[in-house]
Order: sequence, then structure tokens, then C-alpha cells
Amino acid sequence: MDRRTFLKGAAGAGSLAMSGGFAMPALAQGAAKTLRFVPQANLANFDPIWGTQYVVRNASVLVWDTLYGLDANQKPQRQMVESEEVSADGLTWTFKLRPGLKFHDGEKVLAKDVVASLTRWSARDPMGIMLKNIQKELVAVDDNTFRWVLSKPYPKMLLALGKTNAPIAFIMPERIAQTDPFKQITEYVGSGPTKFLKNEWVPGAKAVFERFADYVPRNEPASWISGGKKMLVDRIEWVVMPDPATAAAALQNGEVDWWEQPLSDLVPLLKKNKNLNVDIGDPLGNVGSFRMNHIQPPFDNPKVRRAVLMALSQEDYMRAVVGDDEALWKTLPGFFTPGTPLYTEEGGEILKGKRDLDAAKKLLAESGYKGEPVVCVVAQDQPITKAQGDVTVDLLKKLGMNVDFVATDWGTVGSRRALKTPPTQGGWSMFHTWHAGSDCVNPAAYPAIRANGDKAWFGWPESPAVEAEVVSWFDAKDLNEEKAAIGRLNKAALENVTYAPTGFFLTYTAWNKKVTGVTKGPIPTFWGVAKSA
Amino acid sequence: MLGYILRRTLSTIPVMAMVGLFVFSLLYIAPGDPAAVIAGDQASPADIARIRANLGLDRPFLVQFGEWAWRTLHADLGTSIFTNLPVTQMIGQRIEPTVSLMLVTLIFAIIIAVPMGVVAAWKAGTWVDRAIMTFAVLGFSVPVFVIGYVLAYTFALQLDWFPVQGYTPIAEGIGPWLSNLVLPAISLGCVYIALIARITRASMLEVLAQDYVRTAKAKGLGQGGVLFIHALKNAAVPIVTVIGIGIALLIGGAVVTESVFAIPGLGRLTVDAILRRDYPVIQGVVLLFSFVYVLVNLIIDILYTFLDPRIRY
Repeated sequence: MDRRTFLKGAAGAGSLAMSGGFAMPALAQGAAKTLRFVPQANLANFDPIWGTQYVVRNASVLVWDTLYGLDANQKPQRQMVESEEVSADGLTWTFKLRPGLKFHDGEKVLAKDVVASLTRWSARDPMGIMLKNIQKELVAVDDNTFRWVLSKPYPKMLLALGKTNAPIAFIMPERIAQTDPFKQITEYVGSGPTKFLKNEWVPGAKAVFERFADYVPRNEPASWISGGKKMLVDRIEWVVMPDPATAAAALQNGEVDWWEQPLSDLVPLLKKNKNLNVDIGDPLGNVGSFRMNHIQPPFDNPKVRRAVLMALSQEDYMRAVVGDDEALWKTLPGFFTPGTPLYTEEGGEILKGKRDLDAAKKLLAESGYKGEPVVCVVAQDQPITKAQGDVTVDLLKKLGMNVDFVATDWGTVGSRRALKTPPTQGGWSMFHTWHAGSDCVNPAAYPAIRANGDKAWFGWPESPAVEAEVVSWFDAKDLNEEKAAIGRLNKAALENVTYAPTGFFLTYTAWNKKVTGVTKGPIPTFWGVAKSA
Repeated sequence: MLGYILRRTLSTIPVMAMVGLFVFSLLYIAPGDPAAVIAGDQASPADIARIRANLGLDRPFLVQFGEWAWRTLHADLGTSIFTNLPVTQMIGQRIEPTVSLMLVTLIFAIIIAVPMGVVAAWKAGTWVDRAIMTFAVLGFSVPVFVIGYVLAYTFALQLDWFPVQGYTPIAEGIGPWLSNLVLPAISLGCVYIALIARITRASMLEVLAQDYVRTAKAKGLGQGGVLFIHALKNAAVPIVTVIGIGIALLIGGAVVTESVFAIPGLGRLTVDAILRRDYPVIQGVVLLFSFVYVLVNLIIDILYTFLDPRIRY
């Protein structure tokens, strides 16, 4: 019996016990003002511009507010902004802040704070960098007004300021926002609905947020990170639990109220517990992937890349990642998030239908592949990447490729994938990862889809056709033009095999029935969430 | 004796310096890059390079080591690359749970294991001996996390006697403090009980065959007096040694136990720091652990002289 099997059994037994009506411990009683939440990962640092991990972003939306926020339809809505005005030539944007905004230290939010915050953000964010490249002026006109003057129109301005992809354009006090964007801030003062209690922060174990009494929510209903962010609990404790069985037991026992991402193996057991709700957390899910190194043999040869794509079975990958719950995954003949406006399957035939290993072998033979080693690096401390790596290695062996499987930790993969040297000299041929579906709704914050050679994401794919369609999307005037551009982009990226999509998968979230107001979204939102005693 | 203690204490300094150099060198040559972890999955190589430069990780080894050694000599263990918090503060936050866990485990294990070993020796060759030794072998063989899950299921989920996870500081009361520690201490203690019980049995068997034990019995001393007054004291040197060695095992076991019971201790801090390549934290924790080992060895050496007056330095 391995550890994973054992923990399923242990947690499952607990679930059955709870179904049988065993009492909750005293710890969970009478604590309706405190919500205990188990996040997907440890909040190890807390600067949403410096560190772009999802867990940092998710904590940051509690503390820092944004000028705009995406709603559930992925439309940017005003958040800190009261009004905006764009000149007829599309070059000058003037924004007014809504009144009554305050930071947690009691200071008013002023336009100069916004200017400093946007300046820091635009040094790190892909859309921010684009804006910075065409920026003529970003200034505070008065305490409540700021102006952004560009050298060419940027139709995606509001999306840039309201998107959910990290780094989000959070607004901080000027003194903090003046920190070098590549250095970490040390003060966590925002104007969001909760304050971060730094004195109670135990990185790796606990992070605490307290309701900000002076926060003035908008009047509109909350929707994702937009609208009225009304806090109904006084205190939110993030309890970091590295062991999934412990998290499952703590949720069943009432010691925690909400577990962001239960291990899929444990979900059936949690579903049996009458005290718990279990549902899909983020409808935008995730796109599984592996990237091949386009500048080193054998994957510098597009035929070799296509042979792998032709042979891979996304079903194999998805079953390895999320198990046999078919509600959790679907095949993905493309790169964009299913169910979103720009989703397309154009050019996706190579990933559809019965997998043809013989044809793939034939293509591989035609490519001139001569048994060059394929160094496949996998972070085995991340179950999703490890599961995908196992499938890939099996696939490549079936194809007759010479695979060197390097199962290591994420720290090593993270540094090794930056090397451009040949695989035999410390470099790599392929690595596995996944992208949040919310990052894959369009090319704006989707570096993995770019194919601009040296400037591209790891693997350094180069395809003028892909890049041309990225530009087409940015320049598109309406949704139809955007869709057309994305269709062509999808086709070009599959021809280039910019990366290999391994399928689309969802994850569950689980919470105690005493907790109400949990909504679906790419970020767990706490406004509107209440807990009964 | 005082001179010996002073000499031993001073000898820890070069040991610690060597440990520091060794750990620093290992981290320098080990694969992995904290900048890559910090930057996140979507970062570009240029972002990572910039973060590395800001953290000073692109400087030559000797410069980095010299700076670290100088700071350490001034009792400054540096700042965590990830949390931006002082390493001493991070260690300080984690010491109490780990020390509490080790202390409760140690007391629990000694209270159970020493009498077990004594009884097994006394009843050597009988079913009692075999039962105790079977238990000891089981305790040593079953992984800590398995025992942990079984205990959590039985005593937390089924019986609702203890919490599943977490740690309550002792300042909030002995009861709440203990309630969080009972299950982890038992699961961690099982390995330790097995180890101490086996050594106690072996050592007692040797002592019970000595002439002075026979003399004590001949003088009419009761069984308890023979075992616990005469024999146990003379069998204590190996037992004390194994308890000392066991502290090393406890630190290793604490890593797993702290994860299973979500205790925010030094074990978890160490694992997290290693996975993230948080060099200053790793160095700080390793130095602390090294200091504990050296200190435990020193205490054991001193205890020897009290337990066996023939031992002199």
C-alpha cells in the first residue's frame, strides 16, 4: 500500500464516520465570525507584483483593490474608478477615482498612489509592458484624477487594468509602490476589503485577514473581482496544510470551513459527507501542457514535434491528472479555454479522433530523428506535472524515442528550463506544467502561446504566423474580428506546435454547509461569504 | 569537569563553522534557483535574471559566503529570500511547536519504553518478552505517517477526543497545548519507544548477569529494588546514549509528523525552505540543528560521569 492509497483510506474512513453523525469538536463551535480556509498552496511571500504565484494573487485580492475588475462574463467593470474618459483618437485616457477610498493605514487613496502603482505594475506585467512601451505620460492631474497618454491607441486598456491574471494592477500607497518592481515590498497596506495581519503571519502555516471597517463597497452585486465586496465575516484565517488527508480530515471534523482544492482522489469521500458541499471551484479550469525545446534537437525539428502531437492521447493525460471523474476533464484541440468567447478548435484536427501511433512513428522516421536523447524534466513535488510526465515518457518510448526521465523538484525544473544549452550539457528537451484557464482566455496574459523566438516563454518557439495573429487580436475592433484572429492563431500554433496541450481539467472546491455565499471563479472570493455558528 | 565542559563548548565553534561552510557550498552547487521559484511559472528568463541580481545570487561564491559568515558571527542569520522576514524571527515562530513535540514525545517514550525494556529483560525468553519485542519491532517498522493517520482517524474523527491538526501555544493553557500534541507525540514516539526498549532490554540483560546483582538478590532485596535501583542505573549509559541519538531521529521524524498533523514547526519550515531554495532559512535551520546535536552530545557526555563514576575526562 502506498502513501496516497493509505491517505485515501484514512480520509475515507473519516468521511464515513462523519456521515454516521459523529459530533463536531468544540473548536468549530461558536466561531461564526472567523472563517478558516485551506488555500491551494503556502503563502510564502506577499507581494503581488514581485511574486506571481496564484496563491499570492488570491490573497492579494483580499488586501489590495483594483481600478477595474473582471466580472463573471470576463468584462472589466469599474471598481476604484468612478468614471473614465478616452479621447476621440484613443490616445488620452483620463480616470477619476470614486470618493471615500481609504488605505488600511487611514490615508486617502490619491491619484499619485495610482500612478506609482501602475508604474510598478507595468514593469512586470506583459500588458503593462505593452502600455509602457507606448506611454507618453502617466500623471496625477489632481488628488482624484490621473491621466494616461499613449502614442498609439490601446483598445484593451480596461482589460489590462481589471484582469485576473497575475500580476494584477493592484493599487498601493505611493511610498510602497515606489519599491523596485524586482524587489519585495515589506508593508502590506492596501485599500481592499480586508487588512493583512502581518504580526500573525507564519509563512508556511497561517495567514490572517481582518475585515477593513472603512472599506466602502460598490453598490453593484459582487461578481468575481468586481462589484460590491461586502465582508460578512470579521476574520479569515488561511491555514496551510501540506498533507491532503489532514486537510480532508480537518474539513470533516469542522476544524476548517473551506478547502480550496481538494485532491481529486478524496473528492468522492468528501461528497459522501452530509455536512459538506463539494462543487467545481473554477469553471475556467486549467490547460495541461508540456513544452518542447524548439532550439535544441530533436524538437528543433517541427516534424518531430508534430509526430509527438499526433500520437498523444489527451484522455491518458487527463485520467492521470484528475482520475476517472469524467465531469472533471475534456479533450482540448487547441490552446484557449473552453466555454469562453474566444474558444476555437480551428486547426485542431491533429489532436482529434483516434490516436495513430503508426502514423506518428512514420512521421518521426521521415523527420530524420536519429535517437538523440530527449531529456524530460518533471517536478515530482507537483502531482499534476508528475502525472503528465509519466504519461509522456510512456508515449515517447512507444514512439521509439530515447528518453531520459529526470524527476526532480520544482525548484530545479524552474531553473533548468531557463537554460538554452543542449540537453547533454545541462539543458532540457521538454518540461510539463499547466496554465490556469483564466490565463488562456485571450493572448493578453498568455505568454505560453507566444512564439517570438528569444523573447518567447521557455522553449523559445518562433513562428511569425503566430505572432502576426497575436497582433491581429490586439488590433481587433470587435468580438468577431477577435474570434477570427484567435482561430487563425490556434491553427498556426498547432502547426508550429508552440506547445502541446494535454487537455482541459477542472478542480473541485469543498466547504462546510455552515458556510454560505461561496461562488465559482478563477479566484476564491470571500466577499458575500458568511458562516453560521 | 568545568574545564572539560568549557573545552567541549568551545569545540563546537569550529564544528559549527565547518557545518556552515559545508551547507553553504552544497547549496551553491545544488541545482535549483530561488529566483525561478519566486518569479513563478509565467516569468521570462529576463525576469528571473533580474530577481537573481537583486537577491545577490549572481555574485561569486566567496563573496556570498563571506557576507553570510560575517553576518552569522554577529548573530544575524539574514533575511528569508521569500518572506522577507528575518530568519531568526521565522525560526523563533517555529521553535515552540517543535520543542513541545519533541519534549512530549521524549517524556512519553521514556515513560513507556524503559519499563518495557526492563520487564522484557526480567522476563527474558518468556511470552512477555516476546510480546514486548514484537511490539517494539512493529513500532520501528510501521511508518510514522501510517501511525499518524490511524491515530487521527480513531481518536480525532471517530472518538472526537483530540483535534486533527494544528498547534496551540502553551501560553493558552496546558490542556489545549497537550490536546494538539498527544496524537503526534504518540505516532512519533512509537519509533522511539521501540528503539529505547530494545536497547534497555539488551543493556539490562548484560547487567542482570553481573555478580553484584546476584549479591543484591542474595541479600534479599526485592525484585523491583534489584531491577530499578541496582541494575537500571548501571545499564543506563547505553540507554542515555540511545536517547541522545534518538533526538536526531526525532528531528527527522518531526518533519513527517508536523506535516501529517499540520504543526507549524521547524521540520516543515526546513522542508519548505529546501523546496523553495530559501538559502538563508536552510542555513539558519541547519546551524540550529547542528548546535542542538552538539549540545545533546555534550549533555550526554556529562551525564555519563554521573551514571558511571569510572568514566573520567
